[in-house]
Amino acid sequence: MSGTFVEVAAIPRATTVATARRPPFARRAARGVTPYLFLLPAVGCLAVWTYRPLAAALNLSFFSWNLLPTTPKEYVGLDNYHRLLDLPELRTALWITAMMTLALMLFTVVLPTIVALWTSAIGGRGRTVYSALIFAPVLVPPVAGAALWQWMLDPHSGAVDKVLGAEINWIHETRPAQIAIVVITGWHLLGFAVLVVSAGLAGIDEEYRNAAVLDRASRWQITRWITLPLLSPTLVFLALMTILMSGTLTFPLIDTLTQGGPDSQTTNVYYLLWEYGFQNFDTGFASAAGLLFFVAFGVIAVGLIRLSDRLTFHDS
Amino acid sequence: MGRIVLDGLTKQYGDVVAVDGIDLDIADGEFLVLLGPSGCGKSTLLRLIAGLIQPSGGRVLLDDEDITYAPPARRDLAMVFQSYALYPHLTVARNIGFPLRAARMPRARIRQRVEEVAALLELDGLLERRPRELSGGQRQRVAVGRAIIRDPRAFLMDEPLSNLDAKLRQATRAQFRTLHETLGATVVYVTHDQVEALSLATRIAMLDGGRLEQVGTPTEVFDEPASVFVAGFLGSPPMNLLPARVEGHDGRVRVVAQGVEVDLWPGEEVESRDVILGIRPEHLRQTDSAGPVGTPVLRGEVQAVENLGAEESAQCTVGGAVVQFRGARPLGLAAGQPVVLTTARDHIHLFDRSSGRRLAWQARQNQPTPVAPHR
Repeated sequence: MSGTFVEVAAIPRATTVATARRPPFARRAARGVTPYLFLLPAVGCLAVWTYRPLAAALNLSFFSWNLLPTTPKEYVGLDNYHRLLDLPELRTALWITAMMTLALMLFTVVLPTIVALWTSAIGGRGRTVYSALIFAPVLVPPVAGAALWQWMLDPHSGAVDKVLGAEINWIHETRPAQIAIVVITGWHLLGFAVLVVSAGLAGIDEEYRNAAVLDRASRWQITRWITLPLLSPTLVFLALMTILMSGTLTFPLIDTLTQGGPDSQTTNVYYLLWEYGFQNFDTGFASAAGLLFFVAFGVIAVGLIRLSDRLTFHDS
Repeated sequence: MGRIVLDGLTKQYGDVVAVDGIDLDIADGEFLVLLGPSGCGKSTLLRLIAGLIQPSGGRVLLDDEDITYAPPARRDLAMVFQSYALYPHLTVARNIGFPLRAARMPRARIRQRVEEVAALLELDGLLERRPRELSGGQRQRVAVGRAIIRDPRAFLMDEPLSNLDAKLRQATRAQFRTLHETLGATVVYVTHDQVEALSLATRIAMLDGGRLEQVGTPTEVFDEPASVFVAGFLGSPPMNLLPARVEGHDGRVRVVAQGVEVDLWPGEEVESRDVILGIRPEHLRQTDSAGPVGTPVLRGEVQAVENLGAEESAQCTVGGAVVQFRGARPLGLAAGQPVVLTTARDHIHLFDRSSGRRLAWQARQNQPTPVAPHR
């Protein structure tokens, strides 16, 4: 038979492109706007209560003013910032803030991790009861807590000295006062931190543990090589919260118990700021301090969030 | 050595019985596949062997040693998880070497073993990657590598291929077979995929509702299903199952239903009984309206014809039942057409209608009786 091979025709590419009718502009716009409308209340609150004061503080930091409406604001440029950076009290307060934050990590990172690991086996109703018990101090208002602790720390009749069998003047001696502020803040935060770590542990797939157990790893090896590395984003989050919030969280205790004393040895940066702003009425100076702390803590936060992202291992 | 014996193993969750009195003797070097639909208790059974969950009753023996309440670490078993459970923060090398690191083997020796295993599984270039940088098939091999790096008494595998695409699954099946031959170790393998079970197993244990339905070689389980459940689970499409009746008629033993007439063999005074008649779709073929006298006949009508590539499958109604019929393409059938199907007598399976158990012919008593449940 004579003939020739002919290639089977390929499917030709469409040359004319039909255009589907798009919905009218108004409807598309309405659809696009909806998510922003849902965001609006939150953004609005932030704008009114956070960003506007921030802008006002930035403005005030270039003026000298004593907060009296009758006194005119006097423009001083960067003078407030120069004065602030030269202030020896600032350096002391920074040092105290750093030390207290570090000490507070014991209650917000180290102890919660240990407690959560030990109690991870508790299940069912026992877990609910134990969670409620450990969370209870979080619900005590800081000032009410401070008042109770003030009684308990009393050097003559306080429960703490009786239990310890010592006569420590907790509020008027430097080191004991610092310890008291940190421990009471830690007591407030421990329950919350334990729940955060427990949630972090619950988020780790049980199968990793099972695999490690079958691979004959000991409990300690599993904790060290599997659990803690996988928990590290949670721990970094808690460290971040501690660094950013320790100043504000210790504030009510400092104000109630020691008023920054003895000899300014419990004055942290926020308490210092508050003294300048609302006791000395040096508004421009306090605003400059506020902005400086805002920027400094912002930089630390960004650094820690980057670290947390690096430590997060997405599986699947 | 790795002989695993399950002795009346039971696991209950409240009122739900997940594993119901399983007796099973898994010989050293065997590739035993636990096969069944989801929820049949096969994964629970594997976890009971692994020690990840504790039984409600019964015993697990490993080389005659009672390990029922021994912690998983003491059992010297290696497991490949369905999710692979690769440690996401560790590199491939560290994942594979984990069991040796836990055993405090010197670092240089671990490195050497990891490289050997990686070469065996073709993971050489990937040792410094983390699990998230691997494809599904590579992850699966890392999980296998972590299991085979030490020399456990048995391997437990929980649906290790279920997350792979069809092509990769086929390639990995072949790899598993080679691996089993190389290592010669006991493997207990859980799957719901009958192709995996039939192609890999030295023995299959079919589970349904936490109970063993049948234990046997792939050939036994496929060719002589012990129950309607097994018959209806295996095969693609599975065995046709039609309600019918065994009767003695004109000195012959027959199976009859509407549109069905199967002449079995000569016999008198057969007790009539309700049965399920089973014929595999691939064992049916078309015949002329009558065919030779005495051949099994199913008369029906074609409902639909499906193109399966190499073959065609026709869905027919016979009496009130649906019968699948499969053969080389083209079958030459069209919907609405009457069809007469037949099969060889050897390919007829009978099951008791109420118990679902297979019926075997015992010549001396001249009547079919249910086979004792397989243990």
